[in-house]
Amino acid sequence: MSETVKRNNPLFWLIDPLKSTANQADSNYRYSWSQMAWMLPMAIGVAGLVVSAVGWVTDSHSFYFSYLIGWAFCLSIAVGAYFFVIIQHLTKARWSVVIRRIPETLMWSFPLLAILGIPILLGMHDLYHWTHLELFDPASEQYDAVLAGKEAYLNTPFFLVRVAFYFIVWTFISFKLYTLSIRQDNDPDPSIPKLQRKYSAIGLGLGAVVTSFAAFDILMSLDPHWFSTIFGIYFFAGSFMTIMAVMILVSLTLQKNGMLKKEIKVDHYQDLGKFLFGFTVFWAYIAFSQYMLIWYGNLPEETVFFRHRMEHGWETFSAVLLVGHFIFPFIVLLGRWSKRLLPFLGAICVWMIAMQWFDMFWLIKPVMESEHASLGLYDISAWLGLFGVFAAAFMYRFSRHALVPQRDPRLHKSLTFTNS
Amino acid sequence: MLNQIASEVKATMGIYEAQEDQVYGVLAEFPHPGALLHAAEAVREAGYRHFDTHSPFPIHGMDKAMGLGNSIVGWITLGGGIAGLALATTLQWWIGEVAYPINISGKPFFAIEPSIPVMFELTVLLAGLSTVAGMFALNGLPRPYNPLFYSTNFLRVTDDAFFLHIAASDKMFKLSNTEKLLKDLGGKNIETIRDKGVED
Repeated sequence: MSETVKRNNPLFWLIDPLKSTANQADSNYRYSWSQMAWMLPMAIGVAGLVVSAVGWVTDSHSFYFSYLIGWAFCLSIAVGAYFFVIIQHLTKARWSVVIRRIPETLMWSFPLLAILGIPILLGMHDLYHWTHLELFDPASEQYDAVLAGKEAYLNTPFFLVRVAFYFIVWTFISFKLYTLSIRQDNDPDPSIPKLQRKYSAIGLGLGAVVTSFAAFDILMSLDPHWFSTIFGIYFFAGSFMTIMAVMILVSLTLQKNGMLKKEIKVDHYQDLGKFLFGFTVFWAYIAFSQYMLIWYGNLPEETVFFRHRMEHGWETFSAVLLVGHFIFPFIVLLGRWSKRLLPFLGAICVWMIAMQWFDMFWLIKPVMESEHASLGLYDISAWLGLFGVFAAAFMYRFSRHALVPQRDPRLHKSLTFTNS
Repeated sequence: MLNQIASEVKATMGIYEAQEDQVYGVLAEFPHPGALLHAAEAVREAGYRHFDTHSPFPIHGMDKAMGLGNSIVGWITLGGGIAGLALATTLQWWIGEVAYPINISGKPFFAIEPSIPVMFELTVLLAGLSTVAGMFALNGLPRPYNPLFYSTNFLRVTDDAFFLHIAASDKMFKLSNTEKLLKDLGGKNIETIRDKGVED
């Protein structure tokens, strides 16, 4: 670590591994907003978590599922940010430099998410059916030959080791890319872009495997009899779509409060909107690929996943997901106008972020009660609680450094970018 | 009336008609892309609409400078896509349900689920083909004969020269005025192009 950036006190690493460099930021790129920017989401977050805590006490089984939904939603934003930053470095992207600090800052959410994941570990017995040891015991009445065959993989110690490994990989690559970028703000060292590409290359391959397996372990194993090899890509597709919506919304919010007024142009929004559209379609493509193969194969151990989501009221939720996550955004984002009409684009982004949560809800909640479709208060409170804390940590971290990578050699290309 | 509409439509494709005395238009050379961009802007502001720019490579911002607006090719793409979707749906329904109803492992004769890949592919295929076809049509391509080829200087357009051409069919066109405008904008090697027909 060079002289130009100082590491933060380890106690604050959850928030930011580096000391604030806000004072060294160019005046155009300085954060100039009140503390409300992070205090407000924090207040919402704490309120949501307090309400959820009541749910934990009264109905812990249901609480764990609600909590996992909100947590998986936040994780998907961090995963999306991780891949977005990596791809920008590897392709030496010029257009996106001006908004890259947003996903770079979001990347450093993994340590916080690891801490926020503790309640899930406490609730593993409720969430994950395969944690019930009697399933593996041939003498027991609950003995399940299929799951017993999966015991070598689906067992608690190995699960914990794997999840720890995923977080170590995500955190390590994020740490490297985040600190290199902040260091570059005030350090003319010409080797930085090369180092960013190097860690991105490592992070891309490793991240693809880790994210895929994380989706298998954390989400797919909720239904341990069922399996789908495309499931990791399904999770990635939603994540990558969501990070676009988040970047658009953060940019709009910053501009509304007088920051980066000239730097982020409608052309940047249009390109982010194209990505948003593209990955909405990609999500549908992957979701349908999974659905069609299961439909055509018609094997009971595979169709059970959709059976649980097409009966007892869940068919309404499935329909909402299809229309809200694909058909509606496909139609409105198809044209050029909607990606350049910023208030409209912002509204679509809010909708898509809600849909990403709904997708997580649709994956997780039917596991808990496939016989009875319901969306409860605690589902919402756990979501708002976790998302509030997540957003507050992001905004606070974001305020501590320059708003754009101000010494990035490609920044001027991004500032003069046009796409017409 | 119809002839006038036809010639206006052709003018949007860059195909202009020669006026009296076979005068097709005025061609001027500009020293660099920036000068061409500036000239295009000035010519448009002067009120000309039938003009075109020629350069060895695409110049950023030229569509804006020329006032071209947004291309309608996207609508052609949409039309092609919808046609592809309709074709794929009808074709699969007709084959499966009407012409050759065969029971394959108890699956329905026609169902939307296994038909979607073909619907998707044909949508993309026809959308793509109609985009290319639409682009060619809107640009008036292919166009093997162009009166500008009578200018020997114009041959350098694929090498190192930047040209602006104002067509005689423009309402504003007046040989002396137009030549003066191009001269004032810094145009070099200004020549009047005559459409001599096919004979050489």
